[in-house]
Amino acid sequence: MRRVIRMVDVMGPDLISDLPQSIIESILVKLPITDAVRTSILSSKWRYKWASITQLVFDDKCVPFSNDREIVERSVVKFITRALFLHQGPIHKFQISNSMLQSCPEIDQWILFLSRNDIKELVMEIGEGEFFRIPSSLFNCRKLTRLELSRCELDPPHSFKGFVCLRSLNLHQVLISPDAVESLISRCPLLESLSLSYFDNLALTISAPNLKYLYLEGEFKDICLEDTPLLVEISIAMYMTDDIAEHFEQSSNCNFLKFLGGVPNLEKLVGLIYFTKYLSIGIDSVHLPIMYHNLETIELHQVNFEDTKEILVILRMITSSPNLKELHISGSSNIPIAADAPDLDFWEKGCLSDSSLNRLKTVKLSEMGGWPHELEFIKYLLCRSPVLETLSIIPCVFDMGNNLKMLIELVKCRRASSRGEVIFIHE
Amino acid sequence: MSETDLAVIKPEMMKPYVWLQTSDDSIQQVEQEIAMFCPLICQEIIQKGMGSSKNCAICLPQQVSPAMLSLILDYCRFHQVPGRSNKERKSYDEKFVRIDTERLCELTSAADSLQLKPLVDLTSRALARIIEGKTPEEIRDIFHLPDDLTEEEKLEPLRNITADPRIRLLNRLYAKKRKELKERERLKNVEVEEEHVDDRSVDDLLSFINGNDGDPKGVKTSKNKKKNRRKKEQQKNSSLKEASELNKKEVNGHDIRHQSSEAEIISETSYLHCAEDDGFTSKPEFDDDEIDPALKEKIDREVEDFARRLNSDWPERMQELLSSGQERKTVFFTADGFIRRHACMISPFVTVFSLIHHVFRAEC
Repeated sequence: MRRVIRMVDVMGPDLISDLPQSIIESILVKLPITDAVRTSILSSKWRYKWASITQLVFDDKCVPFSNDREIVERSVVKFITRALFLHQGPIHKFQISNSMLQSCPEIDQWILFLSRNDIKELVMEIGEGEFFRIPSSLFNCRKLTRLELSRCELDPPHSFKGFVCLRSLNLHQVLISPDAVESLISRCPLLESLSLSYFDNLALTISAPNLKYLYLEGEFKDICLEDTPLLVEISIAMYMTDDIAEHFEQSSNCNFLKFLGGVPNLEKLVGLIYFTKYLSIGIDSVHLPIMYHNLETIELHQVNFEDTKEILVILRMITSSPNLKELHISGSSNIPIAADAPDLDFWEKGCLSDSSLNRLKTVKLSEMGGWPHELEFIKYLLCRSPVLETLSIIPCVFDMGNNLKMLIELVKCRRASSRGEVIFIHE
Repeated sequence: MSETDLAVIKPEMMKPYVWLQTSDDSIQQVEQEIAMFCPLICQEIIQKGMGSSKNCAICLPQQVSPAMLSLILDYCRFHQVPGRSNKERKSYDEKFVRIDTERLCELTSAADSLQLKPLVDLTSRALARIIEGKTPEEIRDIFHLPDDLTEEEKLEPLRNITADPRIRLLNRLYAKKRKELKERERLKNVEVEEEHVDDRSVDDLLSFINGNDGDPKGVKTSKNKKKNRRKKEQQKNSSLKEASELNKKEVNGHDIRHQSSEAEIISETSYLHCAEDDGFTSKPEFDDDEIDPALKEKIDREVEDFARRLNSDWPERMQELLSSGQERKTVFFTADGFIRRHACMISPFVTVFSLIHHVFRAEC
């Protein structure tokens, strides 16, 4: 029951309405958009405080839930349109992360409106359905620093000179021609973070002098890091198709060099699925001169220990990284097909220098099947890591008998580190 | 602030202190490395060389009272130690903002004036958590906000922001109520000016016009009347004036102010029916909530058509009314009085009055 009469003196002075707009903005921006808009009915001073916030984020909770997607979509569209219409002043961040919203003509109008209001960060993640076509007004957003799009079609006009302020680009399931992607990347001189996911059959050459973070996931035929001297973190997941497999077979390049040749400042490398295979092509033809002094973390997943070239990739990486602290390798869960004895001479050969891994502290090996090469690798690590603290092994669950064999072998291993613990994680 | 600057200021062995003056003019001594965590203080020391003695104490902004300064210094003291883990810092922060709302607001203001952004972010987040999910009444209670918006102003955000069908119906109800309030205001003004007036009370008049039931609305209307009188007269009049101007434009442009006129039309539809039925008996309250959706859609469409037709006929009817109708002794006389004085304000209302007028003329 509402009291009609309010005695202001009894309650005390207004605590909050007279704080500077920067603080009010700081508070409103941390509220969900519906709560922020609702503050307009608190009092006369609050009526339009929400209207000048510079960040608008519309997520799945901004309209009441209903099972009928079309109703929800209609209310989301109305809400966003009206909020934009009532808004005053620059909008620096605009985000739509709503799975009920699908491609609709209003999106074009919103992007046009934002392009006129100094938009800096634009995130559009709408629902499954038809890909919407980004209007050309996006390319007029001169002040854009962050762009994140998913499930849309991007077609930069020929006259597009790039986003001069763009620092972060994230394209997820975006239909864009390979040339357009490359030119987009190369025309954004300040680009620091690039993420491309779910691209099909892309052969990519990246030229981005300020790039620090690279995240790629998809069916890549070829990746060439042409001009990326400042790269600090790389994470690549390469999927395989028949085309790509063929391409791999026929390739004569040294991918390792092409990919990792120009990234001396690398600090973290993560490779998934067929990445190690990709790097393994042409690796034995070239000797690597480069050292990665800053590289502290390496993660290579789905490594096929049957293929000595892939093992060579790991070894080359490890020996070129004197400051490596953390290593995480996971094997592929394929049971080896080869019936004949594995080429254990490989481990005796002089290609493995005697360098020790002086900083390596943590090693995690997962999906280990206990196969000979894997065991040799573990022995290799144990012998050469004087400061090793933890070596965890997570076996893959196919063959329990192998686990026992693995354990027996492990116990025999010589260890360089007195403090090292070998932890065998068994379900 | 660079490393070299710090080195220059901080001698090796002693722990230097700075002098800070708070809002109540008291001066206190604080370890320099802690105070330097605040950008404003840092700036004062480095650029202006202040704070080295009691005489040239750094004058802190008005928002920093001694209590606030002590809180802020606690925060700085904890966070400027480099060895702490993120988890430790986070849990300290959580505990730090568990203070009453008034002090939290003061703290935000003080931290902002000292340009200590991490603390401003922390306190704003705490304030946002307080506001989130609460009703407007609760928020007003917590922060002592005056409830000084008119009913109409409170409705606007809702109307603009959501198209929930229930809200639309609610808006129609509210619009009806608003119209009612407007009418009462007008009637009040006319009462004062007209000498010979219908001797029925304003409430009776309105209740029959709207064709509503006696009690609940009756009580509410009287309460609203009181509220009206207490609320800022000027604001009401100015909003009425705005509304009248808008209506004028709308009528001229054959445009419809969507929901409000819909509501008006509905109320008029309701008592039109009533007129046909049995003169001016009161009718059960038009209950929006019980309409089934299909019927509601149908009514919406009919209502819109009706409104369009009415508004397009307006100029002709206006002529007729002005040229005729001097001798009415019923309530219509009063309506004519309205027309002469406040023609522009009452458009749909008057047009419907004129319809009733015609209906009865035809029957007489």
